Amino acid sequence: MIELAPLWLTLKLALSTTLILFVVAIPLATWFSGKKTALKVIIESIVTLPLVLPPTVIGFYLLLAFSPANAFGKWLEQWTDIRLVFSFGGLLIASVVYSLPFMVHPVRSGLSSLQPSLKEASYSLGKTKWQTLLKVLLPNIKPSLLTGLVLTFAHTVGEFGVVLMIGGNMPGKTRTASIAIYDEVQAFHYREANVYALILLVLSFIILLIMYSFNGKMKQVKFY
Amino acid sequence: MMKGIFAILLLGLLSCQSPTRQKLTVAVAANMQYTIKELIAEFNKTDKTEIEVITGASGNLTHQIMGGAPFDIFISADRKYPQELADKGFTAEAPKVYAQGQLVLWSARPGIEPKSDLQLLLSDSIKRIAIAIPETAPYGHAAVSLLEKYGLYDKVQSKLVKGESITQTSQFIAMQNADIGFTAKAIVVSGEMEGKGKWADLNANDYPAIEQSAVLLKHAQQGNETEARKFYDFLYSAEAKAIYQKSGYLVK
Repeated sequence: MIELAPLWLTLKLALSTTLILFVVAIPLATWFSGKKTALKVIIESIVTLPLVLPPTVIGFYLLLAFSPANAFGKWLEQWTDIRLVFSFGGLLIASVVYSLPFMVHPVRSGLSSLQPSLKEASYSLGKTKWQTLLKVLLPNIKPSLLTGLVLTFAHTVGEFGVVLMIGGNMPGKTRTASIAIYDEVQAFHYREANVYALILLVLSFIILLIMYSFNGKMKQVKFY
Repeated sequence: MMKGIFAILLLGLLSCQSPTRQKLTVAVAANMQYTIKELIAEFNKTDKTEIEVITGASGNLTHQIMGGAPFDIFISADRKYPQELADKGFTAEAPKVYAQGQLVLWSARPGIEPKSDLQLLLSDSIKRIAIAIPETAPYGHAAVSLLEKYGLYDKVQSKLVKGESITQTSQFIAMQNADIGFTAKAIVVSGEMEGKGKWADLNANDYPAIEQSAVLLKHAQQGNETEARKFYDFLYSAEAKAIYQKSGYLVK
């Protein structure tokens, strides 16, 4: 049986993740694009970890952290009555962690590619750091911002391993489209699996199509 | 230099293939993961054939077999999947039931005492109940039937979290991410889970029998047939039955 709930949930998760990461990534990327320090190198490596780690590593540690048998999970449940495992909130945290580099990297490489004179000119005309970032730097890296947004969104839609490990398959809460496809294939419901898969395929294609047609300068945007 | 490296690589590649050594590959349902080790140890007392075990959810393994996975025997958690393989011509003969699985209610959280009447599940202190996914896992299907029979399913539905196999379901319970859950008795009585929380037997008349079946696959006919049949027959022997009984299964 085809349900819309897994597709809506996937959209909701992807949109929320993208929104949160957009806010989180810009300050991080700005900081990374400045002068290199030891601390910066360490933090940058941590931010990039989800790119190289298998999703199972993140899933496993989140399971451990969220478990009421361990300190953090216990504290959370006692003080806030929240249990993150098997909940949309937990999934959202996992997605934010998991997709972090997909937002930070394009923005950071966009900022680094700008001529320093741009920034200097803005400063010498009396603009603050904040004004310079919002009115001068960010408008000049629109293709990078778009790339970051699209990649984060698409990567969250495509998330499977982490959701499988910490989701618990709850309809409307943690049963995303990628999990629904897996379930339907397992149950030999190839027709249903095909419908979900086709919707995701077409959706992903349209997103990329939009990105490439809007982004004439895509060739200049380096991911790293 | 390059030639030398190439020769070494080639040699390594060739040495991987040793067609003379007999080896069986057995696909085993997740709930049997501990029991199969004992079965093989018992079998190897008289027969030294090496047996490689691939564990997974029965549905998953069925897909792999249909996709051409080189398995000689399939030990499933139910009748449905082996029958499906038989219907599609992947087996050497019809599947047979080797043991009946038992469902238990298990919790690893301190202070939670599982009882067979299941009323505990309605309590506010139980926030998450783990079951295996009923569409593909026989133990999950049995758990849902039991909840329906006791008139509890609708009341606890929002608390249910589903593992993709009985292994993941058990992991949810053992790590206390779920407060309580339904799993296979074979898992809670295994040595690895000993002392982890408390469990209660459930009335086997209140859920459909979990008739665990095995089947000899067509792949066995490509060279391993004698050995495969020997191990397959062993699964129905008195020695094997004693092991099933000890490991939390019912045998007739």
